Amino acid sequence: MIETDVKIINPLGLHARAAAQLVRLAGKFKSKIQLIRQDNAVMADAKSILSVLTLAASKGTKLQLFIDGSDEIEAKEAIIEIFERGFGEI
Amino acid sequence: MKSISQNERPKISVYDFLEKAPAELNLEVLAGAKSLQIREITSSRIQKLGLALAGFAHYIHSGRVQIVGQSEIWYLSQLESEKRVEAINHLDLEKISCVLITKNLNPPPELLEISEQNSLPVIRTSKVSSTAINAVTNFLQESLAPQITIHGVLLGIYSLGVLLLGDSGIGKSECALDLIMRGHRLIADDAVQIKKIGERLDGDSPELTKELLEIRGLGIINVRELFGISAIGRQKNIDLCVELKKWDEFEEIDRLGLETVDEDILGVKITKFVLPVSPGRNTSTLVETAIRLHLLKSNGYDPTQNLIERHNQILIANKTN
Repeated sequence: MIETDVKIINPLGLHARAAAQLVRLAGKFKSKIQLIRQDNAVMADAKSILSVLTLAASKGTKLQLFIDGSDEIEAKEAIIEIFERGFGEI
Repeated sequence: MKSISQNERPKISVYDFLEKAPAELNLEVLAGAKSLQIREITSSRIQKLGLALAGFAHYIHSGRVQIVGQSEIWYLSQLESEKRVEAINHLDLEKISCVLITKNLNPPPELLEISEQNSLPVIRTSKVSSTAINAVTNFLQESLAPQITIHGVLLGIYSLGVLLLGDSGIGKSECALDLIMRGHRLIADDAVQIKKIGERLDGDSPELTKELLEIRGLGIINVRELFGISAIGRQKNIDLCVELKKWDEFEEIDRLGLETVDEDILGVKITKFVLPVSPGRNTSTLVETAIRLHLLKSNGYDPTQNLIERHNQILIANKTN
């Protein structure tokens, strides 16, 4: 089980297209991947688009990332990378 | 499933209280309009100012709505102006979230002046105290209820609110679609907003995903547009959980099906069935049957128990022969 924080840095936030990218990426891994937004108590499954959109995460939002499974290290690296790239928007 | 910390105490500003409280209260602001956004209500329990005005003020709890009714107004009106000012100033005004005057009573001017000076909102309702207290408490209980949003699907199956859980890709949404086709109702897909009200859990869909279902290959579909109004439901009490699990994740399946486990959500325990999913097993039929079984069991009939009893009788009969 890996636990880390990620931050939304792209100007448009975690909008529909970005969320779709994230869901597609998360779906490639076997591990269970969860995103949690503490300030409004929303837990989302990173492999579900509606769930990720419910986070309503705009620029600057901090999310906790939990990954649990056999490929958790690779999953963590890939997901942190997509957040740091700002979903290809910066 | 990772748990979420409930570190923040739920609260609502007096402004939001005015905006969202039931319309029949006819709330109006008499003083302290500037501080509506600043003062916050943190408890669903109300207090009556009552004895506090007579000098016994140290029982005032912070974060509550303080009710001023006929008796308080009478008490204040029979005091001389100086005494009235003294009585009001003696209250711990910082602790009070807001003052709610009932029955459209006219408060003494001193109360409004002092409240204005201390940025304390004074609101008035047309309802009598007992009705107002009921309405305010109910509203606050719901607004201040601990809340989380979790991943899952909430359906109305027969009379029950059923929460479908399981890892993504296991087929929760497909199972929901199947159940909708059989006449059951979708309440929320993928994200379920859960509120703890008393010892009960209420589930609903976030506004964003209301009536929507995501099916791999089909994308996002609107259930109401496709299947009509009877295919969707609104906020519902959660009675039961059903968790879908891959067959190979099961170490050992209880073939008598005697045991159910409890799922803990916000400290409330909900009965959970764990159903193994594999190709060739019709998940929606299994879920529907599990619900029927649960209904039957809660009416006192347990087929497993029945089987065990029949078996015991055969054993006894064989022994005597």
